Amino acid sequence: MSQNGTIRLEVRNVVKNFGGLQALAGVSFTIEGPQLVGLIGPNGAGKTTLTNIITGLLKPTKGEVWFNGRRIDPLRPYHIARLGIGRTFQVTRAFRRMTVLENMLAPGLVKHPYMSRKELEKKALEIMKFLTIDHLRYEMGSNLSGGQQKLLELARLLMLEPDLIILDEPFAGVHPKLQRTIYGYIQRVRGEGKAIILISHDMESIFTLSERLIVLNFGEVIADGPPEVVKEDPQVIEAYLGRDDEEDLI
Amino acid sequence: MWPLPDVLLHAMHFHMWLDALFKFQITGTYIVRLILEGLLIGVIYALMALGLTLIFSVLNIVSFAHGEFYMIGGYVVYAILHHYKGFPGLLAIVVAALVTFVIGAVFERLFLQPMAKGQVERPSEYAILITFGLSFFLQFVMLGIMGPFPKKAPRFWSFPKIDLGFIRTTKTTLFLGNIPLSGGRIFAAIIALLALAAVLWFMYRTWTGWALQAVSQDRNAAAVVGINPLNMNTLAFGMGAMLAGLAGAVLVTVFSWVPWVGVPASAKSFVIIVLGGMGSIPGSLVGGLILGVVESLGTGLFPDPARAQAYRDVFGLVIFALVLWLKPTGLFGRKL
Repeated sequence: MSQNGTIRLEVRNVVKNFGGLQALAGVSFTIEGPQLVGLIGPNGAGKTTLTNIITGLLKPTKGEVWFNGRRIDPLRPYHIARLGIGRTFQVTRAFRRMTVLENMLAPGLVKHPYMSRKELEKKALEIMKFLTIDHLRYEMGSNLSGGQQKLLELARLLMLEPDLIILDEPFAGVHPKLQRTIYGYIQRVRGEGKAIILISHDMESIFTLSERLIVLNFGEVIADGPPEVVKEDPQVIEAYLGRDDEEDLI
Repeated sequence: MWPLPDVLLHAMHFHMWLDALFKFQITGTYIVRLILEGLLIGVIYALMALGLTLIFSVLNIVSFAHGEFYMIGGYVVYAILHHYKGFPGLLAIVVAALVTFVIGAVFERLFLQPMAKGQVERPSEYAILITFGLSFFLQFVMLGIMGPFPKKAPRFWSFPKIDLGFIRTTKTTLFLGNIPLSGGRIFAAIIALLALAAVLWFMYRTWTGWALQAVSQDRNAAAVVGINPLNMNTLAFGMGAMLAGLAGAVLVTVFSWVPWVGVPASAKSFVIIVLGGMGSIPGSLVGGLILGVVESLGTGLFPDPARAQAYRDVFGLVIFALVLWLKPTGLFGRKL
């Protein structure tokens, strides 16, 4: 957290070009304090690119990213993670040739290098219990179903105790029962005073969970505000449903 | 008298071999001896191949200088034992491991890190050229320092006198029944086994080992949970170099050492990691043992004993070709 105890992420006029393709065209927004922000937009809008820039996996062509008073866009991903930004991936990336417990302990020891193994395992087990994967702790990551791997990724994230969590499509391809567990997870994490950026194509969950929505389209922020307001925004409706005149052309 | 055509000579040798086999000159005991000798040397091959596997799986490059770390490890032990009489041999091996680790880690920081940071335009070609460059550099440096003539470190151990009937020892040889086994190789294999056990423990039971595994499985996923992949690269290359150095350090009392001794050793490591599966730790262990046994059996049963040693490396290369042809992923490798 910042010196005054609040979480603050500032994305300042971020541009990202891939050769001749502009993925982000000057994105700016600020997230302050613990809040759950939904980041939505049609496919190719630039959501994942933006996430990759915030977490250091991509460098912006232009613009800056600041986190808790520190400029983070020149930093490497591991450094940004240690500063308190955690993320999951759209396609799950659990360490498949390590056990569930080892998947948990690896980031745990980054955060708490001097914590005893026993204490760390206890902490890991609590998180695993909450996410209903404690019975799988000695299973290899590759033996888990897609949904279980999602839960493992979420659990692993908590071991790092980040202040800001970016969840990229946490509900995609997950059994409804596990989806409810993920719902619970998000609400619990939000209740712990963390900021969350939730990216999802599942509009129902996005509108239910988010306190604020940022809508990206063609690499630009086209709407930013409370879900009920954003929902009625003509630009958003157009981005998702298309224009009437387009329909006429078909 | 006209020389016999080669094909006739080979036929005669094959005939002699069959003859020997049927007269029981090639006995079961002889085969067991060959297998045991193969396993002993195979453990050391495995140690060396494990180093290459570690480098490959974490840095995603093939180090063409791997054999030169093996060579340096041997020379360090030779130099210490040659210049400081009475220096503990085991300590000399530890020094060799540390020296090769430091050379490997410094090289990685200076020359491979720019590649990992994305500062090199064609990383794959760069990795090949830079490790080849290191290989030549180390060979010629050692040629300058040690000269071209073969060196052999003095033996610094001997077996205690044991006579348990089936198991007997002299100072330099262990007898299992009537099978004699070279003490030098047994000593080297024991050290290699201990080193292998230590590395496996490190890889599977410590945080740094998990971090290395995590980076080898998914660099970006490892980075976003706070693991520094650049440090893991340095550690992996240093450890890989150290394992090759250790293999050389334990074998310098068994074989003669020249500056290019690492070239065939390096080739064997490549054979092993292809056989076991690129990037697979169990694969490099099993592959090392298989190569050791195949080489030993191939050489020991070769129809013409006078030429057998000259063909030793061929057996490995035959395996190499067969694996690439029949099972390119190797024994434990993943689908390409």
